[in-house]
Parts: sequence; C-alpha cells; structure tokens
Amino acid sequence: MTQESRDRLFGYEHAFDDPVTLAVTIGLAVALLVTPLILLGLDRLGKIGPGMRPELWRRYFSWLILVPLILVPILMGAFWAVMGIGILGLLCGREYSRATGLFREHLINAVIVVGIFLIYFAVLDNWYRLFVALTPLSISLMAAVAITADRPQGYIQRVALGVLGFTLFGTGLGHLAFLTNDPGYRPVLILVFLAVEANDVFAFLSGKAIGGPKLAPNTSPNKTAGGSLGALVLTTLLVVGIGTPIFRGTAIGGWPQLAILGMLISVVGQLGDLMLSSIKRDLGLKDMGTTIPGHGGLLDRFDSLILVAPVVFHYLNYFVGVGTGEPQNIFTGG
Amino acid sequence: MNSWSYKPARDLNLKTRRRWASLDRESGLVSTVMHQIWWLFVRTYLAVWHRLEITGREHLPADAPLVLVANHTSHLDTLAMAAAIPWRLRGRLLPIAAGDVFFTTPVTSAFSAFMLNALPMWRKNCGSHALKQLRERLVGDPCVFILFPEGGRSRDGALMAFKPGLGMIVAGADVPVVPCWLSGCFDAFPPGRKLPRRCRIRVEIGPPLNFAGVSNDRGGWQQITAETEAAVRRLGPGAEAVSESKSEAAD
Repeated sequence: MTQESRDRLFGYEHAFDDPVTLAVTIGLAVALLVTPLILLGLDRLGKIGPGMRPELWRRYFSWLILVPLILVPILMGAFWAVMGIGILGLLCGREYSRATGLFREHLINAVIVVGIFLIYFAVLDNWYRLFVALTPLSISLMAAVAITADRPQGYIQRVALGVLGFTLFGTGLGHLAFLTNDPGYRPVLILVFLAVEANDVFAFLSGKAIGGPKLAPNTSPNKTAGGSLGALVLTTLLVVGIGTPIFRGTAIGGWPQLAILGMLISVVGQLGDLMLSSIKRDLGLKDMGTTIPGHGGLLDRFDSLILVAPVVFHYLNYFVGVGTGEPQNIFTGG
Repeated sequence: MNSWSYKPARDLNLKTRRRWASLDRESGLVSTVMHQIWWLFVRTYLAVWHRLEITGREHLPADAPLVLVANHTSHLDTLAMAAAIPWRLRGRLLPIAAGDVFFTTPVTSAFSAFMLNALPMWRKNCGSHALKQLRERLVGDPCVFILFPEGGRSRDGALMAFKPGLGMIVAGADVPVVPCWLSGCFDAFPPGRKLPRRCRIRVEIGPPLNFAGVSNDRGGWQQITAETEAAVRRLGPGAEAVSESKSEAAD
C-alpha cells in the first residue's frame, strides 16, 4: 500500500485539510447545540403544541446521534467511511428484506449479503472493474439459486425482490462509498449527505409555507408541488453555495454546473422519497422499521440517499473524474 | 397472472426484547445460521459426551407440520429431541420453552431466541390466545414443535400427568404428533444439578398419532391428552402394566 492510499484510508490527521469540511463540521456542531435552546425558547413562548413537543425532541435526539455517526467516520478516513456506508447498506437491506418478506428466502439473502460485502471490498480496494462486475453477476446468481427450491410459484417475485434489494443497497449505496476513492472525498460526501437531508427539510418547510396541489396523492398524501419546488430552489442554492469552494478550478466549478448538480440531488432525492413511499404503500406499512425513534426505520431516513448516490457519482466521474490517478487494487495488488 | 403477495415479517415493528419473547418471531439469515451452528454443536456434544442413541427414526414424518412430545426430566431433553430431527427439518424447528425460565432476563431471552429458536410458553397465565397463535403458526408456516406436555421437569424422573395445552394446539388439525421417550437425561442432568454427568442418553421415537378427526373442544383436548400420555408411557420402561391401568382409568 502506498503512503497516499494509507493517508486516504486511515489519515484522520487530514480530516480538516479542506476548509469546507471544517466549516460544515463547526456549523453542524453549532446547530446541534443551538437547536435545544431554540426548542426550549419556542416552547416557553407557547409556539409548540403539546402534541408536537415529544415528537420534535425525539427527532432532535435522533439527529444528535445520527450526525456524529455519519460525520465521524467520514472525518476519520476513507476506510471508516466505507465501513459505515457498508453497514448502513446491510442494515437497510435487512429492513427491506423483513418488510417485503424476502427474508424468508435464505439463499437469495445470502447472495445479497455476500454481494454487498464484495461490493464494499471492491470499493476499499479501488477495484472499479470488480465493482461493476458484481451487479450483473449477483443478479444472475440470484436467478440461479432461486431455482434450487424447485418452487416455481412466486419465482419472479422472489428474484425481483432480490434484484431490487441488491441494486439499491449494494450497487446504489456502493456508489456513495466509491466517492471515497478520491483523496478530496470528505467535503464531497459531506455535501451529498447535507444536501440530501436538507432537501427533505426544505421540502417539508416549503410544503407548509407554500402548499399547492398535491404531488402524488395516492403515493404520499402530504407532498405538495409547492414543497417540491421550494426544495428544488433551496437545495440548488445550498449546493452552489457549498460546492463552489469545493469544486473551484474543476470542470464543474462554475455555478451553472453546480446548479445542475443541486437540481439533480433535489429531484432524485425527492424521487427516492416517493420510491420508499410507494414501497410502503404497496406493502401496507407506515414505517419500514423501528430503528430510529421519531423517524421510523433507517430506510425512512436514508431513502433519498440511495437513489442520489449513483447519480452524483456518475455526474462527478464524467465531468471531473473520481479518484483518477489514485492507486488501484490497493489490497489485491496488480 | 396472480397478483404479488408480500408477507412482511410478523414481528416487524416489535422492539428487540419484545421481539425475542414474541410468538411471532421469525428468523432471518443471520439467526438461521446461528441456529444451525448451535444445533451442530449440540449434536456433537451429545454424540461425544452422552453417546446419544436414537431409535425409531423411521416413524418421523418427512415434512412439517409436526409436533414431538416426550417425558421431561432435564434441560438436556430439548437438545436430545432436536438432535433426533433430520437436517432438512431443523430450519423449521421451534422448541416450546417455559417463558418463566427461558425468557426472563435479556441474556436468557437472547440465547433462547438466537440459539434455541425457542418460543415462550407462560405457564402461570397461558391464555387460549397464545395457544391459538401457536396452532396457527404450526400449521401456517408450517413448523416443527418440541413440547413437553407435563408442563415442567419431573423432580423424581417419573412421568407426570399431561396438561391439556397440547390438545388445544393440535385438535382437529392434520398434524402428526410423535410421542418419544427419553432415557438417561434424568441421570445425566436432573433438576438442581450444575453440570451434566457423563452417561448415555437414548431417544426412542414412537409411531405418530393424528388428531385431525378430534373436535376442538374440552372433550377433544382431554382425549388428545390421554391418548398422547398413553402413547408416551407405552415407550417408557415397564410400559405394559402402567398403560393397562391407565387406559382403565381413562375409560
């Protein structure tokens, strides 16, 4: 392993090399410290209804845990970030599999789990060819192992559930992890997480403020066109604002290119949200699980991220290049 | 084309500890692997330390649903019975364990759920609802239950009277009930002993009983209880004399 790979994977001392990383970290820390004061103040003024109070505090405490859980591995080094995203992928896959009933198909699940492990190994190894190969190979293998039960009833459903699960939590989230193969990955990952989560909040707030016609009343009755447009504008502004110092001097350093990135994150993020709503409606469930108090399951929180990850990765990879010139096959040699 | 049917996990929205002790608990990939490793370990232990001997394997039906019942004298009983089940049925195995012994602390609950894959039976206040749930699960999944109708370990090694819960689970259902007799477990590990003594354990599997034609009411439950108890007794030592007096008493 070369020194530069080691620095990227484990070099916690480089955590704040990029001023954007430092600024956003401080900003998030301040936000987490100030929010309880604001909540207490609003409560004192009687602006929070008694029904909302426990819900708001539950959400706040969940964020108080989630923000360090996301941020610390990213800061510590690419290795920890990949591990974190890999564990997130496995846990999301578990939730999905229990909610859809796919968890009863042990062989298909075993292929998904092994596939996800290999995907994140390929990411750590910076072995893009293996990373690409794993999706079609895993899909073929799932179609093959599903035959062995000799139970054609429901074959298509079992395999299709497996394929969707693997492509979302293996391939899709894997793209987020692959961003860490660029030495300057920290601010980029932070930008993606921040933009995706802010997009949700912006949509909620502008939905309350503007409203308007319902976006997809059968899928998600609370989403309005006003909320969607508000999120589009605000997220784009956020991405242009934070992205300008990160991507200065690269092919997407100009505001029009960053605005496109922001719009992509916002639109695809909202689609991810609607995707999970569709899945839940189809299953007849309210939440995907009980992992995060106030939010529901992990998927209820990270649904948008899963669709955004490959879009952002390929936008950056096409125009700038992710980790070009970095050593490849770090562990496997070659 | 048939429309797709999703069956989310029945224990989907239960918190961890409630989930462990739930009759709705379902195993995923990780817990299934844990159970298999555990039963492999148990089988090896019983073979090496207790020279486990199983007779009457030909009586075991090939597929679930299926209920195994036996005399209960020791914590080794469940392990010996599970070892008698062929590998292909082991993924469907759910021993029924006393809730007040196996599901009281987080550690024992986790062990019972992750290793044994046991379902709790709350002996003090086991409502008919819980038995109905067990029955639906047995037939619906379908699965293999191991249960001890005496309702607890015999303190002197002799067979105690069976309780009617078994009847409520299988009455009127097309589920084979397989009577077994365990010998050696009481000598090896009686209630109150800290560690098992080294001595041979035997499992004798008897021909299955079927109660599909028995009505699901008090009379039916009693009939099932009596017939099963007699069948288990017949496998035991000195069976002839006891079973005759017993059948007279039942009449």
